[in-house]
Amino acid sequence: MAWLDSHLLTTTLFLPLVWAIFGLMIPTGTPGGRATLRTWTLLGSIATFALSLLIYQRYDAAGAEFQLAEAIDWLPALGISYQVGMDGISLWLFLLTTFLMPVAILSSYQAIEHREREYYFLLLFLETAMLGAFVALDVFLFYVFWELLLIPMYFLIGIWGGKDRIYAAMKFFLYTLVGSLLMLVAIFYLAYQHKVQFGSYSTTLIDLYRLRLPGEGYASAQSLLFLAFALAFAIKVPLFPLHTWLPDAHVQAPTAGSVILAAVLLKMGGYGFMRFAFPLFPQAVLLYQVHFLALGAIAIVYGAWVAMVQPDIKKLVAYSSVSHMGYVVIGLFSLNPVAAMGSYYQMLNHGISTGALFLLVGMIYERRHTREISAFGGITRVMPLFAVAFMIVTLSSIALPGTNGFIGEFLILLGTWQASRATAVVAALGVIFGAVYMLWMFQRVMFGPVNHKENESLKDLSFRELAVLIPMIVAIFAMGVFPNFFFSKLDPSISRFLERSTGAALKVEAASAPATAVYAAKGE
Amino acid sequence: MEALTTIRPELLTLTDGQLQALMPYFLVFGGISLAIIASVLRSLKPKWPVFILGMLTTIAGICSASGLLGSQAGSELIFNGMMVSDAYSNFFNIVFLASAAFTLLSSFRYLDHEQLQHPEYYVLVLFSALGMMLMASALDLIVLFIALELMSLSVYVLVGFRRADRRCNEAAMKYFILGSAASAILLYGSALLYGMTGSTNIRDILAFVQAHPQGLPVVYVLGAWLVLVGFLFKVATVPFHMWMPDVYEGAPTPVTGFMTTGLKAAAFAAFVRVLISAGYGKGLVTAVQSHFHDILWVSAVLTMLVGNIVALTQVNLKRMLAYSSIAHSGYILVGMIAGPGSEQGYAPVVMYLVAYAVMNLGAFVVLTILAGRDDSGLNLQDLAGLSRRHPWLSFAMGVFMFSMAGIPPTAGFAAKYLLFYSAVQANEIPLVIIAVLCSAISVYYYLRVLVYIYMRDPAGSPAASRVSVWSLVAVSAMVVLTLQIGILPAKMVSAAKKAVTSL
Repeated sequence: MAWLDSHLLTTTLFLPLVWAIFGLMIPTGTPGGRATLRTWTLLGSIATFALSLLIYQRYDAAGAEFQLAEAIDWLPALGISYQVGMDGISLWLFLLTTFLMPVAILSSYQAIEHREREYYFLLLFLETAMLGAFVALDVFLFYVFWELLLIPMYFLIGIWGGKDRIYAAMKFFLYTLVGSLLMLVAIFYLAYQHKVQFGSYSTTLIDLYRLRLPGEGYASAQSLLFLAFALAFAIKVPLFPLHTWLPDAHVQAPTAGSVILAAVLLKMGGYGFMRFAFPLFPQAVLLYQVHFLALGAIAIVYGAWVAMVQPDIKKLVAYSSVSHMGYVVIGLFSLNPVAAMGSYYQMLNHGISTGALFLLVGMIYERRHTREISAFGGITRVMPLFAVAFMIVTLSSIALPGTNGFIGEFLILLGTWQASRATAVVAALGVIFGAVYMLWMFQRVMFGPVNHKENESLKDLSFRELAVLIPMIVAIFAMGVFPNFFFSKLDPSISRFLERSTGAALKVEAASAPATAVYAAKGE
Repeated sequence: MEALTTIRPELLTLTDGQLQALMPYFLVFGGISLAIIASVLRSLKPKWPVFILGMLTTIAGICSASGLLGSQAGSELIFNGMMVSDAYSNFFNIVFLASAAFTLLSSFRYLDHEQLQHPEYYVLVLFSALGMMLMASALDLIVLFIALELMSLSVYVLVGFRRADRRCNEAAMKYFILGSAASAILLYGSALLYGMTGSTNIRDILAFVQAHPQGLPVVYVLGAWLVLVGFLFKVATVPFHMWMPDVYEGAPTPVTGFMTTGLKAAAFAAFVRVLISAGYGKGLVTAVQSHFHDILWVSAVLTMLVGNIVALTQVNLKRMLAYSSIAHSGYILVGMIAGPGSEQGYAPVVMYLVAYAVMNLGAFVVLTILAGRDDSGLNLQDLAGLSRRHPWLSFAMGVFMFSMAGIPPTAGFAAKYLLFYSAVQANEIPLVIIAVLCSAISVYYYLRVLVYIYMRDPAGSPAASRVSVWSLVAVSAMVVLTLQIGILPAKMVSAAKKAVTSL
């Protein structure tokens, strides 16, 4: 146990990958073998979730700094180390990921009919890569995980996706890669600056936070480096006008892929802003605040408008993501605690609600093999349970009080109002548009007469599908009713994040020695 | 030139240290001689003895070179300073011999299959490996030239090994003529340098340059240019790359693999050594230095752009990999430009050469297995649905493609990281931005291979290729190495560093 205690993060991180490698050895020639494989994979993701609950329990709510840290030299010649640890910002996204994985796996039982061994291997592999990106405290390590998760996602879309899967997979890969390569150049520059300013090589985040970079004007080092990082993260978020990969990838990906894309991968963009772009380049953030607020506001309204006219439910949900993630961006760039908190909460909410929406769309697609809104109507009568679940998730998505969405959007609007009234007004309009497209879609699919013969014999949710949806619905209400439970382990980290991003923390950190903060958290 | 007129005994004897330093070369040469004898004993069915002798030779060479790498401190000048044995040359000796060994492994069944099983093949591979070894240790333009010819002549024959095939003949002819022209240019440049400086020894040439800080004579500059062009030709950088795609496409597949790894590493190894020994980066006057820098800069940018963009449209895999090989030469040039200005020096270049050799050789071994009669069936659409027929080969190809595209956790990523990092240190930021954007372009054509392998259905039901144990050993070794260098690069980095510090 002592070993597990000191390597808790690493164990949780690599458990899915190791589990997946054993999964590859299960013969899948028979139905029994395939069932074994599915159960095995599900157990792996549940075990990971259990470990992450242990992490939650070990995490000290009072601490603002990185906890449960581990560090091993990796490439000492360049100051690169394997360093993981988490603060509140990592914690909840980490838990979101481990929570969603069993759900995503369970939802694939029927949808995936060929090459299951590879499929489940890639899902667990993807989990390791995502978790790694959330806990990496070394920019090199972060970059490795950040790129690594493209590989499984590329195959998931490309092999098990819809009709235009190859195009979508390629677009997804290239789009994200181009953004991250410029970030890589910026990482080189930062690492080299550490050598210039402090005389030693290091790519550790805590060390890089201490860098002083010139930040006056648009051509300054901070500004250019910020743009390089922001490009990578804005593509991932995705921020208008860099969102065009998202509808393709979302629509073509298999259900579990869409869920993970929406729930976790998009969060990586927001997480990247919070962990890297903001604290590393505080002056540049102020410089570009206006631009990003404007882009975020445009994304909210634009995403909502485009979603409104989509004939395909999945595409509608995809564009709603663009709109919802716009809130995250304006919340972050408002640079005050209320908005930042709301922004972070919105990321979790979006993960749950949009994830659930994709699951529901996947379920109806499995039955009808179409996602056209016009192919449905009157579904409430044939699938009452499904309709109830859909209703709850829809309400959560349009931020009804009592659901999780309300807390996030309310806090964001409140905080943004302090930073920029115009943005807040536009964003509030977005809330209305959001209600319009979601409810309109709901009405066309669920109410009215059953116009299509095929719809009359649709089966309601099975036990397995209920098992997929109930955790999501519980999460929707839990987050809507008990937000303080989530905020308590988040507050100190958010305020530390803001101190760093507004430059207030520079003085404190310059005084402390480089990596002490990490070890202090370990109690040494 | 007194050595020609008076006999000085100390030049004719070898000290113990020198003798030891020459062991890898002696071992390989001895092995080759035995293999020649074995191959003329036709009654013995020479295939097995020659193959085994060849493998033993490379293994013995690798062992003795790695022994030297461990024991040797500093560098040992041999033959009156015409050759040098140091960590750099021994490091590369291992690379060349390993590349030869894996080429032999992958060729064995291939030659049976193609009915080309002649023992000369193995002997020629070994001869050209010996030429490479000499190239990496040459410190004299004459030795360099002889080594280059030893390597090239053997490869000319290998390229045309499938005598009855037209494309193969065309490739060999083209390669021979253009390669000879390049050698001639190099030789002409050497002659001019000799004419100006009175020596063919590179260190004497450096001394001459340092003695003329005010400016160098025109003839010298012309000679240096020609030598540079000769090298750029050999490493196939734009605009001296025209020969490469045709040759790569026409040559038997394992030979192509050998060329992209061994030959390229050898040309770069010699290039780097000559350039550094001639004072590049340290010792050259600023004007000359920046002149060289500009030539390499332009060449690097053109090479990366042309290589990557033309590769986008290729449907034949060998041709695509040929253009990708050109592109990779461009990245390596970036490392050479960055060398003097960064603390890593040329270590990233060496590391990149190793990583490139590993992943590229791996990819070619896979292609060798898949190749149909007369190297047919190597177009993209022939790979459709390969993952059903050969799941493990497909996985291996996936690893190699991601590695060439520079995606972690592979050797290609670690090497690129180091290379571009050192270029940022040298303040070559525009060059790095061009380089990373070019490598973003390259991702498209590497991934397209995987699209065919994993995401498209095969036309009809093509039969699975037979996989020999030997090729399987080679592929697995390359997969393991690619991942190992990618995940734990520290060892390779320190080895590369050790190699370049001895320069």
